[in-house]
Amino acid sequence: MTTKPVLSRLGPGSIPARAGIGLRAEHYDAVLKTRPPVGWLEVHSENYFGAGGRPLDYLERIRAHYPLSLHGVGLSIGSTDPLDRPHLAKLKGLIKRFEPALVSEHLSWSSVGGRYFNDLLPLPYTEEALYHMVARVAQVQDVLGRSILIENPSSYLQYVESALPEQEFLVELARRTSCGVLLDVNNVYVSARNHGFDASAYLRAIPRHVVQEIHLAGFTVNRFDDGELLIDTHNRPVWPAVWALYRQAVQRFDRIPTLIEWDTDLPELAVLVDEAHRADMILEERHAWAA
Amino acid sequence: MLGLRELQLGFANAVLDGAEDNFDRHIRAAELSGVRRLQVYRNNTLLSLTGALEAVYPVVRHLVGEEFFRYAAAQYIARHPSRSGDLHEFGEHFPLFLQAFAPAADVVYLPEVARLEWAYHQVFHAADHRPLDVAALAQVPVERQGELRFELHPAARLLESAFPILRIWQVNQDDEGSDATVDLREGGVKLLVIRRENLEIEFQPMEEGAFHLLQALAGACDFAMACEWAMAAQPTLDLPACFHRYVSQGVLTAFYLPDS
Repeated sequence: MTTKPVLSRLGPGSIPARAGIGLRAEHYDAVLKTRPPVGWLEVHSENYFGAGGRPLDYLERIRAHYPLSLHGVGLSIGSTDPLDRPHLAKLKGLIKRFEPALVSEHLSWSSVGGRYFNDLLPLPYTEEALYHMVARVAQVQDVLGRSILIENPSSYLQYVESALPEQEFLVELARRTSCGVLLDVNNVYVSARNHGFDASAYLRAIPRHVVQEIHLAGFTVNRFDDGELLIDTHNRPVWPAVWALYRQAVQRFDRIPTLIEWDTDLPELAVLVDEAHRADMILEERHAWAA
Repeated sequence: MLGLRELQLGFANAVLDGAEDNFDRHIRAAELSGVRRLQVYRNNTLLSLTGALEAVYPVVRHLVGEEFFRYAAAQYIARHPSRSGDLHEFGEHFPLFLQAFAPAADVVYLPEVARLEWAYHQVFHAADHRPLDVAALAQVPVERQGELRFELHPAARLLESAFPILRIWQVNQDDEGSDATVDLREGGVKLLVIRRENLEIEFQPMEEGAFHLLQALAGACDFAMACEWAMAAQPTLDLPACFHRYVSQGVLTAFYLPDS
């Protein structure tokens, strides 16, 4: 991969405390043409792991106009397989070239024994898993030479082995590695409904200073004859109950950069921009209370 | 109680190999059973990997239909699990898999179309490269030109098929009319798949001689031998014109003289 730095009018800078949107290939041209009024953009790091060609070309042109966040979905940090060094090297190359203000990954694993699920799988929340995650996040931060954010996943099961609530595990991970937390409010809601815990209490257990980014997305309800599960599908608008939880999060954590994620059944760009506008209004309300 | 490693291996066994029953006791069953919960992950994994195959092989999918494609994808995923956190690397062995996939045996050209789609996928993501330095090439003394080695653009692939795979690819694009047909008796094709400087990807049907020339150069033959091979394959070939075309189109990107 070429590593010439991007000719950006913006330095790495920081992500403004506004709403941004997830950038997907279907919207490249519309973003370049209409320059939607969103505060920043986030992309999936792995979509730019190719050596060259169109994806990198588009990202370079778009990056010149927006602050950027790189969000990884494939590093498999929580796996007990050795850390994938070539994967990490590609991520490092992207960081050098595109100077993202934020880099994030997940509190999850996605491979074992060399086989990849290419899905975000839950960890057991045990002391052993915490030690493992602490070592791996530290290793990643060492190689990248910067701190990263770790996102809470949506989950559909809990292990009998788990001894800690997820929020305590996440907070302890952040405390021991100095990583930040990417709080996915939709994921908190989805997991709370799937496992019957109190979503508001989850937010209250997270110290104010560790949350550096918030995600919002839409979920789908899967009904079975013996119950239902909420699935984190990123294929529809944010649900009202998640907006309500987001208001609580903004009250607690103050104005935090907030991303609208939409990955399948993508609507027109304007729909994402509208959702971002809605998040911006909630962030501004918080500003009004504080004033 | 299982340790982290054993728990992950057990989870993989349950979700990837379908042994949910053995792992059920590690899942807290509230309302829904552990097996049901594991099936959500099994389904997500299958959707994610099938989606990756659909993205690379849209024409194969168009040819066999969605239902058949999903069936083939599930078989492929079971036999050739994903080995990377980067989904773009998934699906490399799909053409070979299809060749041995009995339910698709009647669609004889299917593996060949899949090879074309994988080549397109590779070319789409391949490295960028500057065009060949023509001025520097002109400095090479005439008596040493035969020793030159050339390199093909990282985003160039040569393909040869006994079937008219380019025509099949063209008439099976989603927006094409479905009444178009391809007669297999049209015969085979030799193709250059090349990403041009404007990042557009082209399929260029090639004459016998041009194909041999590029194939020899891609295989690190020296220029003299590549020319000889090309002329033997097609005595009527306009070799200078052919060579200049591939230089000006950026297909040949670099050259070097081996140490004498």
